[in-house]
Amino acid sequence: MTGAGVLTGMSPTVRRVALEPFVRPPEEELPGRATWYASTCRQCPAGCGILVRVINGRARKIEGNPAHPLNRGKLCARGQAGLQVLYNPDRLQNAVRQSGGRGSRQFKPIQWTEAIDQLSSAFKSLGAPSRVAFLGGLMSDHLLTLVSGFLKALGAPPPVLFDLHTALEGRAEATDMARRWFGDSQAQGVPLPLYDIARAQVVFSFGANLLETWMSPVAQGRDYGLMRQGQAGGRGLLVQFEPRLSATAASADEWIPVKPGTEGLIALGLGRIIVEDNLGQVGSHSEHAHLYRNVSVTDVADASGVSVETLRRLANAFAAADHSVAIPGGYLAGLGNGSQTMDAVLALNVLMRRLGREGGVFLPHQVPAEPFASSASVSSFAQVTDLIERLKAGQVDILLIHGCNPLYELPQWTGIAEAIRRVPLVISFSSCVDETAVLADLVLPDHTYLEGWGYQVVSPGADRPAVSGQQPVVRPLYDTRATGDVMLALAARIGGQVAQALPWSDEVAFLEQNSAQLLGTSSGIYDAHTPAGFWSLWRQHGGWWTEKPLRDEPEAIGTPTGPLQVSPAVFAGDAQQHPFHLIPYPSLALSDGRGANLPWLQEMPDPMTTASWNTWVELNPATARSLQVDNNDVVKVVSPYGELQAPVVVYPGIRPDAVAIPIGQGHRDYGRFAQGRGSNPLALLAPPSEQARGSWLPWGATRVRIERTGRKQELARVESLDGAGREKLR
Amino acid sequence: MAQDVKSSVEAAPRWAMIVDLDRCTGCQACVVACHAENNIPVVNEQQAAYGRWMHWIIVDRYWEGEYPNVKARFTPVMCQQCAQAPCEPVCPVFATYHNREGLNAQVYNRCIGTRFCGNACPYKVRAYNWFEPEFPSPLTEQLNPDVTVRSRGIMEKCTFCIQRIRRAELDAKAQGRQLADGEVQPACVQTCPPSALVFGDLNDPNSQVSQLARSHRSFRLLDELGTDPAVIYLKGGETNVPG
Amino acid sequence: MSQADPARASAPSEYGERLLLEARQDADINQAVLQPMFRTGPAFWVLVTILGTLVAWGLYAWGYLVYWGIGASGKNRPVYWTLFITTFVFWVGISHAGTMISAVLRLLKADWRRPITRGAEAMTAFALMMAGLYPLVHLGRVWKFYWMIPYPNNRLMWPNFQSPLMWDMVAIFTYLIGSTLYLYLALIPDMAMARDYTGGWRYRLYRALALGWRGTEGEWHKLHRALSIFSVAIIPIFLSVHSIVSWDFAVTIQPRWHSTIFAPYFVVGAIYSGLSALASILVLVRRGMRLQEFLRAEHFNALGRLVMVAGMAWTYFWFAGFLVEWYGNEPVTRELIRQEVAGHLAPLFYLQMSANLIPVGLLAFKKVRTTPVLLLAATLLVNVGMFTERALIVIGSLQRNDIPFNWGTYRPTWVEVSIVVMTFAGFALLYTLFSRIVPYVPVWEIKEGRLRYTMRRIGRLLVPTAAEIE
Repeated sequence: MTGAGVLTGMSPTVRRVALEPFVRPPEEELPGRATWYASTCRQCPAGCGILVRVINGRARKIEGNPAHPLNRGKLCARGQAGLQVLYNPDRLQNAVRQSGGRGSRQFKPIQWTEAIDQLSSAFKSLGAPSRVAFLGGLMSDHLLTLVSGFLKALGAPPPVLFDLHTALEGRAEATDMARRWFGDSQAQGVPLPLYDIARAQVVFSFGANLLETWMSPVAQGRDYGLMRQGQAGGRGLLVQFEPRLSATAASADEWIPVKPGTEGLIALGLGRIIVEDNLGQVGSHSEHAHLYRNVSVTDVADASGVSVETLRRLANAFAAADHSVAIPGGYLAGLGNGSQTMDAVLALNVLMRRLGREGGVFLPHQVPAEPFASSASVSSFAQVTDLIERLKAGQVDILLIHGCNPLYELPQWTGIAEAIRRVPLVISFSSCVDETAVLADLVLPDHTYLEGWGYQVVSPGADRPAVSGQQPVVRPLYDTRATGDVMLALAARIGGQVAQALPWSDEVAFLEQNSAQLLGTSSGIYDAHTPAGFWSLWRQHGGWWTEKPLRDEPEAIGTPTGPLQVSPAVFAGDAQQHPFHLIPYPSLALSDGRGANLPWLQEMPDPMTTASWNTWVELNPATARSLQVDNNDVVKVVSPYGELQAPVVVYPGIRPDAVAIPIGQGHRDYGRFAQGRGSNPLALLAPPSEQARGSWLPWGATRVRIERTGRKQELARVESLDGAGREKLR
Repeated sequence: MAQDVKSSVEAAPRWAMIVDLDRCTGCQACVVACHAENNIPVVNEQQAAYGRWMHWIIVDRYWEGEYPNVKARFTPVMCQQCAQAPCEPVCPVFATYHNREGLNAQVYNRCIGTRFCGNACPYKVRAYNWFEPEFPSPLTEQLNPDVTVRSRGIMEKCTFCIQRIRRAELDAKAQGRQLADGEVQPACVQTCPPSALVFGDLNDPNSQVSQLARSHRSFRLLDELGTDPAVIYLKGGETNVPG
Repeated sequence: MSQADPARASAPSEYGERLLLEARQDADINQAVLQPMFRTGPAFWVLVTILGTLVAWGLYAWGYLVYWGIGASGKNRPVYWTLFITTFVFWVGISHAGTMISAVLRLLKADWRRPITRGAEAMTAFALMMAGLYPLVHLGRVWKFYWMIPYPNNRLMWPNFQSPLMWDMVAIFTYLIGSTLYLYLALIPDMAMARDYTGGWRYRLYRALALGWRGTEGEWHKLHRALSIFSVAIIPIFLSVHSIVSWDFAVTIQPRWHSTIFAPYFVVGAIYSGLSALASILVLVRRGMRLQEFLRAEHFNALGRLVMVAGMAWTYFWFAGFLVEWYGNEPVTRELIRQEVAGHLAPLFYLQMSANLIPVGLLAFKKVRTTPVLLLAATLLVNVGMFTERALIVIGSLQRNDIPFNWGTYRPTWVEVSIVVMTFAGFALLYTLFSRIVPYVPVWEIKEGRLRYTMRRIGRLLVPTAAEIE
């Protein structure tokens, strides 16, 4: 390491340059001793607080921040792997131009000034401000505020937020559900509901993979531990309703293998039984009886395959507990009847009066400052489709893409590839060359999250209002630039209204100003006399939250006045030709594919199959036998729209009429650890119908058939296949 | 300032870990945290398929029953730090030995790679460096300076993050105080979201591990082999909490 | 040197078959033994070239292994030991035959051992040399191998003598030195004989090796004393070496290894394997060096019987071990037995059993024992079986253990196979070169043996009579 040049400005005629060797490191550093920096993990939208151990200017270990109210010092596997995001060997080290033309994968470094020049002139020469589009994915709230402000001042449409992870979580659908039930239909920013798992005695999870990938797995995992062995009243009970046994179902006391699409019916059936038999000690159910007026328990049992006795038993368990909660999960969002199903599940909480009660359903309390009033809500898929239409129609001249990889994350029939190709100028802010960056003209890599600034309103919330702060733990490794700074520089160059709307010199100034709005709030864990002091404490603590727990009690003002109903789910492909329901699921290691370039995550065993580094197809043992395939036999999975080949994992925890495939592999680009392995199951997704095309992402609504290929492929498993099923040797 | 410094006559701690199987969710956070803390290399897909991955802790997953009454269970397994370790007597060069604090210590730079210990261990928790570990630059920047980076031919395994134990003991000694219960946390224990892993001193009857070890749910893996492991499991499915 | 005994010349033909009753001049015998040493025809050089190439290729494979790491072999978790240790045990087993022949049979005064002692002792020495390579080959960091040697160092670090690998080192080292000395001691008179009959570089070599032997009574007396002491002293070593090697496995708690019968089982197996190898080698050497005069039916007959008896003993020990394992019903052992009898190890298991048991039956027939080709086939089969037996014990057992999640498989690689082949080729190469540098048949022992026997006429019968000569 070399030194820094110091100019002393004693007088204009005297300029001395002194080189300072690195033996004089920054003040807070002691060689061999670690400095810990508080920041926020950005591997998923949850926003857990982290402390990063930095020795000699290098990040060595990420731990959870014990003081952070969301994760309380704990951290998940993807959070731990964040170091490999920072030190990934395939990161872009400069701003680059795809010199060989789009798709050539030849990139030449350019100066940032040149990039900003090109961008600003492109903006200035826009025909109309509406001809700009910003497609964002997992984005910090601060960046979203900046970008939204930029676009608004420009007169352009707001950013469209889509990424596969949040789609698979059903975040948009859950937000809509909260809005429907707890706010009026125009209410903006009704946050995601909080499910108080830690103090529940009975948890019914309908497709909510709360211990793997859904919403806030660290906080939910912690809550799960408390629910089991941390409650004075005894051990809590977890029942999981889903067609494929996830790791959450593995930890559950009972797994109900639900026929895909009938989850809502089951919820209705349970509610009906509770009303009919007047179960529970919460008083009369007459107020909510109308919701279940049209439910026939026997019909539910027939349609779902769950017997009436089982429904009765479960309903009794749910109602008998003082603290019970029903959770509508992400899996439901992939079905055609998703929102009706979620309503039916949430209705159980309303029926049993769990809103605002311990072990029940809460709403987070708002952070008392305007910039943090709400967290980013993702766009609906319809909005994504609109954007694609606009792109295809040539209505967009500049497309900016940040934090998502639509070429990988969207099925082909959305037409995203042709749509992007129609845009004259495509800018990607990705750190690595991913599939989307390959179609970009310029790639202006953002800092990775350990090198960058920001804040994130915790959502779904913790037990108290919290804003998680993000600061660089190391100096940026390469000549990358924070996207927020790029937008601000661009705004300054464009001038006019845009420059006025974003007057900050850089991102940090913006953050300082926003954080200072919490100055003087007595409920926080700290306070200060000056904004500078507050900003310092903000960075030390890693954000701001209240001293005491504070949650809101939701009011179910949106309770339907008529009966609830759940229409049958529609699946693409007819049952004869395509006998199996396809369940693509976000893999614990790779999520929606963004983790595929991290070697630790590639080698991390999947908890249920213990497999790694590849894609596989999970078949029920009876299904495998009838197809005459066994573990490691390669099969072809064919949907009405596409096909893929992958080795079989014989999986006892799945319905015989369903197959499951983890999402995340099948990258064409994205670095040496990601590319050229496995397959992307999104290639199989079919639009359910022409009319419905584009209104929702039907990732759980495709049927497939399985064909043998006669080939074998050895999956990297930790488990020995020879020993499988032999655990009870004794 | 004169403080009561811990007398050397007092018993050394016996480090132990509790694994609460009722809390473990199989999330693999411990697996990745261990890689990050202990400079464990990643092998590639072919090597991993051949049983040459290097995880120091793995989460065994067991299926029970048949569809539709099928359950799955998780059992995290790491080096059990056996008091009667079968791996210790067989090493010809004393690369693995039992230290005063109850740890089965592995001395990387003494190991000549006979792999006898790997055969002797009934839990198969030992990982061998079959090839030279690769850390493509700049992943080398992440390596933990407190832990040796091993070369090919060396056997390695979970050490209960002995580097963290040492650091905490040295800090406590420098400050003239004793270690508090829960002050030392191996990487896996620290990160585990449901707090399924608990670490502490079994020689302290009031420590959390001692209390949990007295639970009626407690058992040890392959106890009948007489290895006297320092990892105590708590059976899942029953409550530990009085009430 | 004795005179030709006229009685011998007229000995009935049945006695004429016997080497020690043969009517031959001593000088003729010397020439008959020395001649093959000088005969290096094209076949010899072809053989040496092939063996040399295999050895060179094996050395390259070893270099590859050292450079890239043990991962170049087929080992994995949990099968941490595979072909290297298997072959190590195999070679140690082979080495037992030499001591059996020269030491045990010497003490038992079995005269039929006389022409084969040197061949057997050479087999022992070379087998041990090959065996001794494997503890080096299988090391992950072979450049630190010397840490297993107890030398004083400033860190006061000693090796761990609780470890069976250290016992191996001591035992094999001792055995190697002992058997090499034994080989050499018995070689001295023949070195002197060869010195007297050769010239050039051979003369210089043999003169150095003969240590000035003149054949005086005093020297003979000392030699006999030394050989007697050695014969007795080397027996405990020969019994303990393979016991110690077996304890590499038996002292662990790995199922199927943890068996108290391993020590005698391995020793008997070693005797079986070694004697068979010796028989195979003798058949080949007799043909290749045209030693038909010295290696006769009587020797193979006796050796074949000994092999058969060893095979019967092996069968007994195998059954004793197997019965207890099967009866005891320990779950992992039961699984391993299941794999052997009806699972993926079955082909190897049935190969082992048939290759070990069929020769026992075959060798009951004198025809088999005294027909070189049949004897060769039977004894080669034995060693195929014994190698497979070692492989099943080492590699097969490691594939199963107490936690089924951790079971594994094994696939050998070219590196492993090349190194195994290297030791076989190296053994053969050493043996071939040895046979050209050193008189293969111990001439002095044969002459000494012939001194024992005289043909005497008792009535109308002409019978051989034997005298005590020691």
